[in-house]
Amino acid sequence: MRRWPVSYLLGGLVAAAALVPVGVLAYLGLGAELELGGRTGEILLNTVLLTVLTVVASVLLGVPLAFATAYSEIPFRRFWVAALSAPLAIPSYIGAFAFFAAFGRGGELQGLTGIPTPSVHGLAGATLVMTLYTFPFVLLTTRASLRSLDAHVVEAARTLGLSLHAALLRVVLPRARNGIAAGALLVALYTLSDFGTPAIMRLDTFTRIIYVEYNAFGLDRAALLSLELLVLVGVVLFLESRVGAERERPGRHLWLTLGRGQKAAFLAVALAILTAAILLPIGIFTLWLVREGAAGFDPVYVLNSAYPSLLAAAGAVLCALPVAYAATTGRLGRILERATYVGFGIPGIVLGTALVYVGLQLQFLYQTLALLVLAYVLRFLPLAVGSVRSTIERMEGHMAGAARSLGASPFEAFWRVTLPLSLPGIVAGAALVFLEAMRELPATLLLRPTGFETLATYLWRVYEAGYFGRGAAPGLLLVLVSGVAVVVMLAGEDRRSGGPPT
Amino acid sequence: MDRRAFLQGAVALGLLGPAGARAGRSRGSGPGGLSVEALPELAGDLTVYLGRGEGGLYQDVMEAIRKRSPKLDLQVRRGPSTSLANTIVAEARAGVRRADLFWSIDSSSIGLVAERGLTRAMPAGISSQLKSEFRYQDWAPISGRVRTVAYNPERVREGELPDDIMAFADSDFAIGWAPAYGAFQSFVTAMRLLEGKQRTRDWLRGVKARATSYAGELGVVMAAARGEVDLGFANHYYTLRLKQGMPDASVAIAFTSNDAGSLVNASGAALLSPGETPADFVRYLLSREVQGYLAREAFEIPLVPGVAMPEGLPPLDEIDPPDLDLTRLAEIRPTLELMRDTGVL
Repeated sequence: MRRWPVSYLLGGLVAAAALVPVGVLAYLGLGAELELGGRTGEILLNTVLLTVLTVVASVLLGVPLAFATAYSEIPFRRFWVAALSAPLAIPSYIGAFAFFAAFGRGGELQGLTGIPTPSVHGLAGATLVMTLYTFPFVLLTTRASLRSLDAHVVEAARTLGLSLHAALLRVVLPRARNGIAAGALLVALYTLSDFGTPAIMRLDTFTRIIYVEYNAFGLDRAALLSLELLVLVGVVLFLESRVGAERERPGRHLWLTLGRGQKAAFLAVALAILTAAILLPIGIFTLWLVREGAAGFDPVYVLNSAYPSLLAAAGAVLCALPVAYAATTGRLGRILERATYVGFGIPGIVLGTALVYVGLQLQFLYQTLALLVLAYVLRFLPLAVGSVRSTIERMEGHMAGAARSLGASPFEAFWRVTLPLSLPGIVAGAALVFLEAMRELPATLLLRPTGFETLATYLWRVYEAGYFGRGAAPGLLLVLVSGVAVVVMLAGEDRRSGGPPT
Repeated sequence: MDRRAFLQGAVALGLLGPAGARAGRSRGSGPGGLSVEALPELAGDLTVYLGRGEGGLYQDVMEAIRKRSPKLDLQVRRGPSTSLANTIVAEARAGVRRADLFWSIDSSSIGLVAERGLTRAMPAGISSQLKSEFRYQDWAPISGRVRTVAYNPERVREGELPDDIMAFADSDFAIGWAPAYGAFQSFVTAMRLLEGKQRTRDWLRGVKARATSYAGELGVVMAAARGEVDLGFANHYYTLRLKQGMPDASVAIAFTSNDAGSLVNASGAALLSPGETPADFVRYLLSREVQGYLAREAFEIPLVPGVAMPEGLPPLDEIDPPDLDLTRLAEIRPTLELMRDTGVL
């Protein structure tokens, strides 16, 4: 009988755990009756359009930025990667509300400058805001993919007469498509499950029906609807799984020198994103802060946000390794991997409640920090799995095989060959989980230890009551802490793969 | 820290201290409710599930109670009311009870918990402190909010506004509303109970023709202030809080008369565990000091007789709210059906 690889056993365990909350939803939603109005078609169309447009826009924004930050010497490169990732730390409903308050007739921008601005709303507005707060998924996964490509292939293409641009487009880009697809998948799932942004942008999507049912004390209906949303999630997962890439040897890192114009273009785009996604909401908050004054903010919230998120990042990466590894070894492994993504497509408030049921089965853990970290790991596992998988995937099995034939044990081959080679993906995955855990709200509200306040829960508390200005300090700190953490993680990445040639 | 924040902090520290108590005119149950001085000392462990967001004022109340009650170990868990109600139900199913008291932003979340038999009767001595229309068996209303018409005085004169909520359906105002918002759905429930299904359906259809939907009622009030709409339907405190930050904002409030448009809804507390401490804690929330503080600083309507209304609101007896049992507002499902039928949701 064939022995199951260790990665299948561990990966299977992790995938089963990730599916538990979905099982709870099935239990809660069982027997619920649904009466949906006649607008279901329109709402479904809105949902699909928003998802498709956001994915396209995120790829158009994320991939070029990933090329620039992976391959070229941009001044303050590490800062820019951190700054461009930081939108992932801002809850998108905060961004959406800032856009709502800033633009349009009588908006804050008009108040400050006297110049009328168009209002940001509807499908276009929701796509804009959603893209700003999700494109870093694509940036980080693509960048990790690009960084593990071998420069020799590009040089071979150049020797054979391709221009550099053509080489990048025809040789490098296709080999990064796994990373791009992994990021696009996360964007799609986030967009499908987010409630706040479409609501504030006045676009009716599927999550709104779920939210209304939940608030009308129809937990069973909300659960059932969330399961129906999983059909869309399934379609997205299937589409992404169609994207494949060849395996290849890892090799030397590619470095390019950008021309002046290209550098200027990069800086312009990066600055524009920074302004829209980070400076605008923080600026609006600050304006309100000055008007209203702040009270009741405790600096300890920073710590409360950071360390569970760090633990979650470490935990998610550990759990992701066997799953990602299994995904590269066969069909069953692929299915295990897909299973871990499902939870990410469920609206947070419903999943948070499902996790309360899970937590109550582990009563010694209920309302402890450990359970909160566990919930983050379960929820954000796909962020780590996607990044790790897309780097492992292009790695040839021969490397580990060579190590084995030289006498290394399977563990040693993994530890000394596979693991170091997949480090860019691991770092990117950890960064994604960390950022996402920092801004996670519904599960945090429900599962944290009683009295435990984080930056995100504090933001919710003041935002919900209409004390918008008091969100300035926690909003700014979310960005700062996230930025610093990303810089630190990237430092580890650079040490491993070597900096630019000098 | 700016001056106002400092003052607020100072107020909080003195809120229930000797200075705060001295400010109260009399001990005992004179007009303005009981003073904390007349209340028993709080002791033991107490976990409160607090179902609302807030800008730090509840935190001040909690801190003041902690400071006054050194023998009390007070834990507070905040979250959306509906989520906490679902959590309490989930805990009960698993045989766990973590919360001793549920303080919810609306009565309907308490309704869900009470329906499962998880609340304990409110002692009569507590209910009797409240204004007579706010006495219930399963819970105690803590603070009120009134439905208002938030209008832009640069676009509409107060005299043009109907004092009948039903008349807005036949008006030609540009209207803002937030149909997915819980407070709005409670208002439509009240309309359904008071006017009947058919009239409510007609009203929803009529307003929908000239309405812009927003995600929440703060958004509605902001839209009115910016002139995106002429007026909107919202709880009163969003306007007052917006005006607190921006005194020049172009928004004012008006009331309708004796209909759902001037419904007074309430946040409330329900007892989940036996013993004196949870009930005594509710007594603190209904004390003259806390009720006065919430009215002054959070613009909430005090529900104990004799405590002054928040600045910017007329006295409660000048507002003409409809007579309605607030627990019936939990019957939200037929309301949602109406809202779906009419394409509002």
